[in-house]
Amino acid sequence: MSVWNYVVTAHKPTNVTHSCVGNFTSPQELNLIIAKCTRIEIHLLTPHGLQPMLDVPIYGRIATLELFRPHGEPQDFLFIATERYKFCVLQWDAETSELITRAMGDVSDRIGRPTDNGQIGLIDPDCRLIGLHLYDGLFKVIPFDNKGQLKEAFNIRLEELQVLDIKFLYGCLKPTIVVLYQDNKDARHAKTYEIALKDKDFVEGPLSHTNLDNGAGILIPVPMPLGGVIIIGEETIVYCSVSAFKAIPIRPSITRAYGRVDADGSRYLLGDNAGLLHLLVITHERERVTGLKIEHLGETSVASTISYLDNAVVYIGSSYGDSQLIKLNLQPDAKGSYVEVLEKYVNLGPIVDFCVVDLERQGQGQVVTCSGAYKDGSLRIVRNGIGINEQASVELQGIKGLWSLRSSTNDPYDTFLVVSFINETRVLAMNMDDELEESEIEGFCAEAQTLFCQNAIHDQLVQVTANSVRLVSSTTRELLHEWNAPSGYSVNVATANASQVLLATGGGHLVYLEIGNGKLAEVKHVQLDYEISCLDINPSGENPNYSTLAAVGMWTDISVRIFSLPSLELLAKENLGGEIIPRSVLLCTFEGVSYLLCTLGDGHLLNFLLNLSTGELSNRKKVSLGTQPIMLRTFSSKDTTHVFAASDRPTVIYSSNKKLLYSNVNLKEVSHMCPFNSAAFPDSLAIAKEGELSIGTIDDIQKLHIRTIPLGEHARRICHQEQSRTFAICSLKNCQTSNEETEMHFVRLLDDQTFEFISTYPLDTYEYGCSIISCSFSDDNNAYYCVGTAYVLPEENEPSKGRILVFVVEDGKLQLIAEKETKGAVYSLNAFNGKLLAAINQKIQLYKWMLREDGSRELQAECGHHGHILALYVQTRGDFIVVGDLMKSISLLLYKHEEGAIEELARDYNANWMSAVEILDDDVFLGAENNYNLFTVRKNSDAATDEERGRLEVVGEYHLGEFVNRFRHGSLVMRLPDLEAGHIPTVIFGTINGVIGVVASLPHDQYVFLEKLQANLVKVIKGVGGLSHEQWRSFNNEKKTVDARNFLDGDLIESFLDLSRSRMDEIASSMGVPLEELCKRVEELTRLH
Amino acid sequence: MKTENCFAAPPLAEGAAAQPSSADRTARGASKYLAGLPSRGLFSSAVLSSNPGGIRVYVCDHETAPPEGQVIKTNSTNILIRALQINKQKSDAKDVIAKSAADSSTVKRSAVRTSERRSPPKKMKTSSASTSHRGSCSSELSEKKLQTMTVERLRALLKERGLSPKGKKDELIARLKDEA
Repeated sequence: MSVWNYVVTAHKPTNVTHSCVGNFTSPQELNLIIAKCTRIEIHLLTPHGLQPMLDVPIYGRIATLELFRPHGEPQDFLFIATERYKFCVLQWDAETSELITRAMGDVSDRIGRPTDNGQIGLIDPDCRLIGLHLYDGLFKVIPFDNKGQLKEAFNIRLEELQVLDIKFLYGCLKPTIVVLYQDNKDARHAKTYEIALKDKDFVEGPLSHTNLDNGAGILIPVPMPLGGVIIIGEETIVYCSVSAFKAIPIRPSITRAYGRVDADGSRYLLGDNAGLLHLLVITHERERVTGLKIEHLGETSVASTISYLDNAVVYIGSSYGDSQLIKLNLQPDAKGSYVEVLEKYVNLGPIVDFCVVDLERQGQGQVVTCSGAYKDGSLRIVRNGIGINEQASVELQGIKGLWSLRSSTNDPYDTFLVVSFINETRVLAMNMDDELEESEIEGFCAEAQTLFCQNAIHDQLVQVTANSVRLVSSTTRELLHEWNAPSGYSVNVATANASQVLLATGGGHLVYLEIGNGKLAEVKHVQLDYEISCLDINPSGENPNYSTLAAVGMWTDISVRIFSLPSLELLAKENLGGEIIPRSVLLCTFEGVSYLLCTLGDGHLLNFLLNLSTGELSNRKKVSLGTQPIMLRTFSSKDTTHVFAASDRPTVIYSSNKKLLYSNVNLKEVSHMCPFNSAAFPDSLAIAKEGELSIGTIDDIQKLHIRTIPLGEHARRICHQEQSRTFAICSLKNCQTSNEETEMHFVRLLDDQTFEFISTYPLDTYEYGCSIISCSFSDDNNAYYCVGTAYVLPEENEPSKGRILVFVVEDGKLQLIAEKETKGAVYSLNAFNGKLLAAINQKIQLYKWMLREDGSRELQAECGHHGHILALYVQTRGDFIVVGDLMKSISLLLYKHEEGAIEELARDYNANWMSAVEILDDDVFLGAENNYNLFTVRKNSDAATDEERGRLEVVGEYHLGEFVNRFRHGSLVMRLPDLEAGHIPTVIFGTINGVIGVVASLPHDQYVFLEKLQANLVKVIKGVGGLSHEQWRSFNNEKKTVDARNFLDGDLIESFLDLSRSRMDEIASSMGVPLEELCKRVEELTRLH
Repeated sequence: MKTENCFAAPPLAEGAAAQPSSADRTARGASKYLAGLPSRGLFSSAVLSSNPGGIRVYVCDHETAPPEGQVIKTNSTNILIRALQINKQKSDAKDVIAKSAADSSTVKRSAVRTSERRSPPKKMKTSSASTSHRGSCSSELSEKKLQTMTVERLRALLKERGLSPKGKKDELIARLKDEA
């Protein structure tokens, strides 16, 4: 790998942090707006459910998301504040469907200590000002003028230093905030302040309440006419207003989110950290509050945000599990729950650990993540490409073609499967027992290779062989009519639809036949200059049985031509260039856009936009799908048409947002494919592979596929063992026993196919599983699981004791072979030169695997290296050891065999608090730190002085905006050696927000090219809300902010493909590169993930 | 948009009464409070469709700079200095009122400034109530503060209280103190 890195998101963030409901896109439309850390999603509420509208990337991590309506505006505005102290106010322009920036700004202060409890942003219900609490002891006010414009912001000194929550009270003459805070004796109080805008100061407000519940954490302001505020504690809920004070005890729980149900604020939904949903009711007589009631409703994912939508439907946004759409039923179900889950939205966050495996052994990586937390913990299997779930297969050698036929035109199901071989054609049919058995269609010629066959109108079948075209009744299965090829010529290629046949014979003859009732009529015949290599008359116009266009691929001049039907007049000709002949052409329509697809013998695919009336071809694009000739065939899945490209790297071509997308199919090599929708195998495909014919269903057509294995407990570490075909995880389970909550930690063994627990090793009380690897040792061929643990005792700040456990998998059971006590937490384990390298608190320790006299084995300490704060992350390569320290960035160690010692070679002297490290190559190391940055450091082995050699030079810096928990070498996509992308080494990372990303090391020339493209794109693609891309990607921590270098923003670069044609042209011309080449280069990058 | 409540409450099932008592109580409790949830007719379809197709990714290729004057910055003046400035502005305004009210044209600006700076900002909230305000204000004035005032200012204060403005500075202060 190299220092020139390209960072791209393969799976977008799914952790829902905020949500709100309002009339954003139009005064009449109700929207749900969801924040997923660095993106917002706009949904529309309809009678039929939630309809997704727009996914908006934001150049910042969203700290506050609020809808508000300035005076005199018909619809709501969206206020977004980011963690890096930027804010913007967005308005939806329905005419252009664009987001307009109404205001933006920087709300940072030069001095000030950032708040510990997170940034708070709030908007006065009467829209007089926006309040922000960003720094301890300061409250920032952005006032509105009477026209709804924002004015210069100012700070007010806030006496309370440890603020937990701030809200605006309703119905106050002057804007009034209520502040929930903790004093220096850890007691919690609530206090109100009126904001005097003129004096720019606080005035004591009407309410104050001291010595609240010690766990009070959330304020809920109650709208008028009731007014006042609800304070949610861990053991009590308090309502207080000027006139009333009510309190009720609750079962101890930590409330994480609330959602208001009624506009008058009499009912609220509360979600706690165990995922329990409660209804809080303020009972009142007219405007006098009489009491509070709390009712348990049921269980959801652990909510981070709750939005009541409409008609008893509620959106539960979650950080720890899947977000949900739930319905509150009036009557409980059998389990006493009022909650009915309508829909689940996959959330991978927080990805605590993951591993890259190739379970199907196809040369394609899959990522298995430890996702979710608490009860929502799960494993997720993330894989790129589309899976085929094989349902039946037979051995058949030498398949040359595959078609399915119905027994009558109106039959919804396919009955026959016609399989063509070099010198024969066989027909398979579904029998009464739903088995596929050999059958016969009498009228078909079985002694010749079928070139094409098709269901035709009037309950007829068409078969084309080298000598003739046969029209067969599908009811009697007898030959009705036959068209014979002229003597001396044989048919080379043919195609047909329900009413037309087009075929080509040697000598460049193109013959067009029409299918009548019991009759084939030769309508037109032309001779072309060269031989014909492929044909298509798939109807893409309005008539599904008749095409007015024919596509023809030619030998010799390597062109594709469009002819009109029935006249066979040449409408358009496109030279493909190069020397590779077209092997398959296809006319098709996706999302109302007509395309001509054409594949070449070398695995490339060209696509053109096709004008159906003139036959003109435009907008040529070329992509490489594989190395072998590709056969194209359409099929339907979920009422949408897709194209299957059969080759050595089978691909499904589909369209999304009017853009063609290519998703590889997880099969090794497919020579032919046809849809086969039979009663026994509905919606299936018949696939001819090497020596095999199989029938299977296809997954949903999308790029990444995620399978969820719910665990009901929190998995923290995972690794895979090839030899035993198992996964091992370290997990923890929260157990609620009467009043006490206890944690239990386990090492669990899972089957790598079924993902069932097959063995469990419980850890001791207070013992945490910290690390796990699968490894083997020198002079021992067994594969072991090694687990590092820590005893986390309540009275200790830092663990002083831990264990290394060595397990072997025997008969599907975890057998403890050896254990070694350590003097601290074993944060990391690595297989190292046939030994075991452990990071234990501040020490790196190497263990040998020794044979005792009695034949048993034990770990024996060999050597170690001190001098870290906490050595949390360790990676090794050869004899080199790279350590990511809690706060001392990256250091490089070397193991010296002769001396049996580990020595430090170099270190990065910056104070980065690390969250993950990885070795990119011999000299370059990648690190992620806790301010959401990535950086690379390089070893200077050639430097002149010892001092320089001892320093790891920082060579790349980038703000990712995501907290990376783990890097792993590997790839989500199948790597083909011929593709340029095939040579690009990649590292995958997983983050707290559920992002799976890729860091790809580019060759220098490509990096320079893309850097230029990025610079051009920044001028065209603007940050939503006027936020700057340059500032967003600049490396930023408490100490410094510097521009990103040696990292490229792949998300920005790949959004080039989403631009309009004119914008693309604009960029291509300013780059001085042909558009086609530019598209190709960017499309190739999208193949990295 | 429909505003009526589309939520049709099904009648309480008879079987509910036969359930175990504790579960029954909570069940009926929550049911009671779940009635009449707000509805505008959305999500009213019997079969709620799941997401048809993916979500469009927004690519923003238009200018996103905010309108003029809407790039918001924070007032960089130190909070203390800002408070002083505001007080000064207010006292200036008050001064004008005081001038017209008491017709004390002899009061020097500098004197006013000194006096106002030293009075607590909290007390300077409203200029309309200046007279009564100032009365209470000056009644709290300590001797030290009075000492720092000019003779003219003291005389103005005495005049306000209907006291004799004659004599030496110490006498004036003594008179003001007695009054307080």
